[in-house]
Amino acid sequence: MEKQFNPFSLNDKNIVISGAASGIGRQCAITCSKMGAKLILLDLNEAGLKETLQLVENGSEHFSAVINLTDYNKVEEIISFAVEKMGRISGLLNCAGISTTLPLKNAKPETLDKFFQINVYTAYFLTQTVCKMGNFSKEGGSIVFFSSAAGQYGESGKSIYGMTKGALYSCAKSLACELSRKNIRVNSISPGVIVTPINQNLPHIADPELRKQTEALHLLGLGNPEDIANACVYLLSDASRWVTGSNLVVDGGYTTR
Amino acid sequence: MEQKFFDLLKEAIEIEDHDVNMEDQFREYPEWSSLAYLSIIAMLDEEYDVQIEEAEFKKLRTVGDLYNAIQK
Repeated sequence: MEKQFNPFSLNDKNIVISGAASGIGRQCAITCSKMGAKLILLDLNEAGLKETLQLVENGSEHFSAVINLTDYNKVEEIISFAVEKMGRISGLLNCAGISTTLPLKNAKPETLDKFFQINVYTAYFLTQTVCKMGNFSKEGGSIVFFSSAAGQYGESGKSIYGMTKGALYSCAKSLACELSRKNIRVNSISPGVIVTPINQNLPHIADPELRKQTEALHLLGLGNPEDIANACVYLLSDASRWVTGSNLVVDGGYTTR
Repeated sequence: MEQKFFDLLKEAIEIEDHDVNMEDQFREYPEWSSLAYLSIIAMLDEEYDVQIEEAEFKKLRTVGDLYNAIQK
């Protein structure tokens, strides 16, 4: 039987996914495995990571490591080990991150430090490590930063989260310029509100009244992790071979109005 | 010392597929770019505590010239 044409295939691609133990990161792992990718899954949450490995296809083919991404030396060790074991990397999804809703008056320097460390520094330095000579496929590939609608549009209490997501949006653009000569494409993705473990206890999701208001802001209602994972498959696959420096908005129409 | 310098230079310019030699004109490497220049400047500073002004760097032609710069 003739092999079916599929421009979104991730066959023969090794994909690194940070934050793979839950939420969007976990769903990206599941979806990418269904599209044929071999995965390098990173997260601090050991139990969640094990669960993800049980949910992905061909679980034994993948590599996973329990790691604090702010331990940059350890990140280098793990990535080198994974490359040695599985071969060079073709893609990276920087999913790891935290969220908050916090008014200006309650913010402290330590809060900003924490959010920039986890949302921005870890993504930046994981990208640096993955792109280090010898780690990335010589044929190039694709890197995705997780920005957010909050990175470009305002919401009360979202200044800290929004700042970090705005940073990732900008970061993708300059890195797209810098890495194009290696045929590495760099894009960001801006989800609207997706119900995941990092935000399900925040007021705009947990409080029924506020949730209604949040839903009303999205023309198509709130999103699922699958909506973002599918967009990531596009950005990782050869279907997007001419797309770099872009920000893919996947927000159910939140930013349309 | 010499091998370490070659390794650091290869990493700075991101040369994976060929060796480097003292007589090579480093700007003629296919991997050469303006970012490679910045990486070399940073590498010389971090690894050898050698700071080279742009005007001075322009006079350097070969890998050997760079190597001599760290001997001073």
